[in-house]
Amino acid sequence: MPDFSILIEYFDFYIEGFVNTIYASILALLGSFLLGTVIAVFRITTVKPLRWLGTVYVEFIRNIPLLLIVYLFYLVLPMLGITLNGFISGTIGLTVYTAAFIAETIRAGIMSVPKGQSEAALSSGLTYVQTMRYVILPQAIKIVIPPLSNQFINLVKNSSVLSVIAGLDLMYFGDRVAGKTYATFDTYIFVAVFYLVLTLPLSYAALILERRLAKHS
Amino acid sequence: MILFQQVEKHYGDFHVLKAINLQVEQGEVVVVVGPSGSGKSTLLRCINRLETISSGDLTVNSQKVNDKKTNINKLRRDIGMVFQHFNLYPHKKVIDNITLAPMKVLGQTKQEAEKTAMYYLDKVGIADKAGQYPSQLSGGQQQRVAIARGLAMKPQVMLFDEPTSALDPEMVGEVLDVMKALANEGMTMVVVTHEMGFAREVADRVVFMDKGQIIEEAAPVEFFSNPREERARLFLNRVLNH
Repeated sequence: MPDFSILIEYFDFYIEGFVNTIYASILALLGSFLLGTVIAVFRITTVKPLRWLGTVYVEFIRNIPLLLIVYLFYLVLPMLGITLNGFISGTIGLTVYTAAFIAETIRAGIMSVPKGQSEAALSSGLTYVQTMRYVILPQAIKIVIPPLSNQFINLVKNSSVLSVIAGLDLMYFGDRVAGKTYATFDTYIFVAVFYLVLTLPLSYAALILERRLAKHS
Repeated sequence: MILFQQVEKHYGDFHVLKAINLQVEQGEVVVVVGPSGSGKSTLLRCINRLETISSGDLTVNSQKVNDKKTNINKLRRDIGMVFQHFNLYPHKKVIDNITLAPMKVLGQTKQEAEKTAMYYLDKVGIADKAGQYPSQLSGGQQQRVAIARGLAMKPQVMLFDEPTSALDPEMVGEVLDVMKALANEGMTMVVVTHEMGFAREVADRVVFMDKGQIIEEAAPVEFFSNPREERARLFLNRVLNH
């Protein structure tokens, strides 16, 4: 049995970290979803410079460790005169990193929409952007919900990287509690439980969505 | 209204269209026939630039289809297209399939667009399906929705790319009837099809293609009773006598 007195004594620490992890996750989730969608569209457009930009983004970002990207925003930007606190730079880093994976997921979804759909839309006079917005993306999103929910669960877990740059997240406060109590095992057990409180419902929601979508198709 | 002059198209090494010269006048119904792989669909798809041409001149309403200065989106408003596999938007109801382009491209209000949509749905005989999703409709019904979707933009010409080839035999008739009615109303139509009966009955002109070339162009009576070219004769023998 873990020592529950730790949880009780440092409950404020756990809750503050938990809430910040939720904030960071939601911000990064929305940000990476928008950024990832834009990059996915860049990668499949016929406009060469945009295509190139999208490819460079994806290939560079997803092949660099997340920690390095977070360092970039936390340690390198101040040298250029832009100082961000740990929470903000960590959340931006997380957004930028996750966007690369989401872009690939959404691109795969877009590619799986039959070509006839865009042909029908374009031949009726819709622009490329309108075709994407009204015809292709709504269909692609349905297809990518299961893989996308995986990315979001990863995102929540990856947010623990904020702890390294004083991002005030759950892991950061876990480290602080462990430093005070020296009871590392017990302390981190509770940290894990708090992460599960976030990720298990996400997994479950993904499962339900997947089943519901399977019914319709 | 549509004019091909010495149009060539290559897919890599494959020469799909060879020295195509073809004119379609307003109000004309031109039916393109020929064996599979002869370039019929490609020819049709060049007209609204779903395919680009390699050389030659192709104009619609005196506008060069492949010119950079041509606003292709604007040109496409006037060219309706019906596909072999219908290509209805599965995530939208029938009525929303039809109103999308009139609202987003022509800037019609929802009421205007829906009124037009219902008019054309009624015309193709399935007004009662307006609130359903495409997957709830039969193939023939879906293709009629696709025709209504094209007509709702009030195009100057309608292109049909093998509109009955993906249909069960008992549904071919209902789609052809809609097309016949359209032709009788004076719609300019270019139709790629294997339905020889339709070509004979409705076409003003039949264009026979083989291996990327237009081999013969004639009035249907002439073409079906007395084809000039040997290849056309062989083709007709194969499709008519079975």
